[in-house]
Amino acid sequence: MNRMTMTGVARPTVAASICLLALAVHGEAQPTPREILERVDANMTMSTARVNAQMTIAYRDGDVRNLIYDAWAQGTDQSFLEFTAPARDAGSRFLRLENAMWIYLPRVGKSVRIQGHMLRQGLMGSDFSYGDASENPSMVEDYDAVLEGEEELDGRRAYVVNLTAKPERRDLAYQRRKVWVDADRWVPLKEERFARSGKLLKTALLSDVRRVGDRWYPFRIEMDDAMQTDTRTTLQMLSVELDIRVPREVFTLPHLEGGE
Amino acid sequence: MSKRRRRIPVFRLAWRNTRRNTRRTLLTVIAVTIAVTAITFMFAYITGILGNFVDSYARSESGHVRIRKDGYTERERLMPVYLKVDGVSELLSSIREHPDVEEAVPRIRSSVLVDGAGSNRPGLLLGLDLDREGPYLNPTGMAVNGNPPRPGFPEVMIGTEFADRLSIDVGDTITVLGQTAYRSLGGLRLVVTDLAFSGISFLDNSMLVLPIDQAQELADMPDAATEILVFSHDAELAESLAAQLEEQLAPIVEGDIEVLSWLDQGQLMRTMQMMRPLLGVVMGLMLLMAGLIIVNTMLMTVMERTQELGMQAALGMRRSDIVFLIVSEGIVIGLLGGFVGAILGSGVGIWLEHSGIDFTAAARGIDLPFQGMVYPDWTLSYAVTGMLLGILAAGVAALYPALRAIKMAPAEALRQ
Repeated sequence: MNRMTMTGVARPTVAASICLLALAVHGEAQPTPREILERVDANMTMSTARVNAQMTIAYRDGDVRNLIYDAWAQGTDQSFLEFTAPARDAGSRFLRLENAMWIYLPRVGKSVRIQGHMLRQGLMGSDFSYGDASENPSMVEDYDAVLEGEEELDGRRAYVVNLTAKPERRDLAYQRRKVWVDADRWVPLKEERFARSGKLLKTALLSDVRRVGDRWYPFRIEMDDAMQTDTRTTLQMLSVELDIRVPREVFTLPHLEGGE
Repeated sequence: MSKRRRRIPVFRLAWRNTRRNTRRTLLTVIAVTIAVTAITFMFAYITGILGNFVDSYARSESGHVRIRKDGYTERERLMPVYLKVDGVSELLSSIREHPDVEEAVPRIRSSVLVDGAGSNRPGLLLGLDLDREGPYLNPTGMAVNGNPPRPGFPEVMIGTEFADRLSIDVGDTITVLGQTAYRSLGGLRLVVTDLAFSGISFLDNSMLVLPIDQAQELADMPDAATEILVFSHDAELAESLAAQLEEQLAPIVEGDIEVLSWLDQGQLMRTMQMMRPLLGVVMGLMLLMAGLIIVNTMLMTVMERTQELGMQAALGMRRSDIVFLIVSEGIVIGLLGGFVGAILGSGVGIWLEHSGIDFTAAARGIDLPFQGMVYPDWTLSYAVTGMLLGILAAGVAALYPALRAIKMAPAEALRQ
């Protein structure tokens, strides 16, 4: 769940506000699938965000790797991520601008641009792809939704929504998604992501939902890449700041390759 | 008084008979010659093709014995560098002490991202002990301009097709990103010293050859390798060598390793083993066809002489003697044709063994270890086998018309 991994972005839209208003008027009436997505987008996408998180990759053979990173995000497609621990990975940086991503490793001293299917590779060997970790698109803009029903998940009432990529978004890594949305907090609690063929690619579980400002935000995300059977990755947010001021130069190549 | 039958000098008679109608004999001899030539050459040719596969596979993939970390094989597709063999230098010196070992070489194989002139592609990294790989992967032989990378320097050699796709040339600097033994992301900047051409298509499309010390640095695994390949003086010893090495290395090895002979690795060698009997079937079919040509010609030859055989029977020649005579004629013809055929087949085989048959164009795009040139592998035994088969086929082929001939009553045969 892109929007949650790095933390989301994206302006609360006028449409979303109207939708909120409508819901307030109609009270408990069951929302349409589109309204659900709009409320999720409104809650989960922010103009800017800064996150400090611990990524834990558990391997089938018992190994565990802990990594810590700092990330900044702005809008739907700008983000910057830097690993700070462990020492051997400290200083590894990732910059995402629109459809391209640059990787910078201190040892190499030069950034490498990757794009296309390479974005679907695991970030640092985790179950999160580079794309998962750096994109923060709006669900309403990318997917058509069908409400499948309601279910209870971990004691919370959840809407089960099936998403299918809009015809013009054939480029999306996940052409179909099934999302369990918390009916009160508008936070996804679980998500299954599929390829166009219907093959399950990833499963995400979101929990430890906390209040940040006037939003609800999942502080813990467990991701399982069905293609990468050796691992399971957990992301635990250590600190989350939303809608703050982020210097523009954070999302630039000189910052990636250069300095602070 | 015992009635002793006078022995008929069958072979002399047979030899004389073959000269009676030289046109007829020549026709049959030519049929046998063509068949034996083809058989002798095909033996050498098929052995050459099999040898090419096995040899390419051993040198590029399997060694005669391959040592890897336990569990590597099941994840082989991912080329996980974290499943590594540690303490390689100590293992290598121990392995090299074994009397059956010709050489042992460490290799690091990993999947990397190669960034050239702004574009990048996934590649197959091969970290090699460049000084010792000469007779095996032969990096120096692969270097198009004779400039392989030097141990200890951040240098690399790139597959010709791969370089093409990345728009990289000699002298350029590339960035290589890959997994480290700690499963994080590592990177190196390397200077391209040369282009590499192996003739093995999938390597030329994807490989980067660099000194093993550089590969160790990239993957953050000093004194470790993803595999050790062991080559023996005698490939036949592979299985026993694997068992002995496993025992020998047990006290010094860190963690669990798997020691496998090339016959126990992967599908290809098993496929090759399965192909041998299959090739036997192909050879059998060829023999059958050659046999049919011989039978046909012999049948014609004998049928032409029905009257003569009837006459011989009427004069009191025993049926078994007639059969024996005809079969002997077949053998004489088989001997002549077989001899010439074996010489011709050997000639072609030996000539191509030196000049080779160029399959480079056909091998392009094949994702198998297969070198572009096929060298038939001729041995004397193929010529002898070809000749014996020719003689046997001619003899057996003569049996049928001979048996048919004696079934006829002499009077009937004379009437024909």
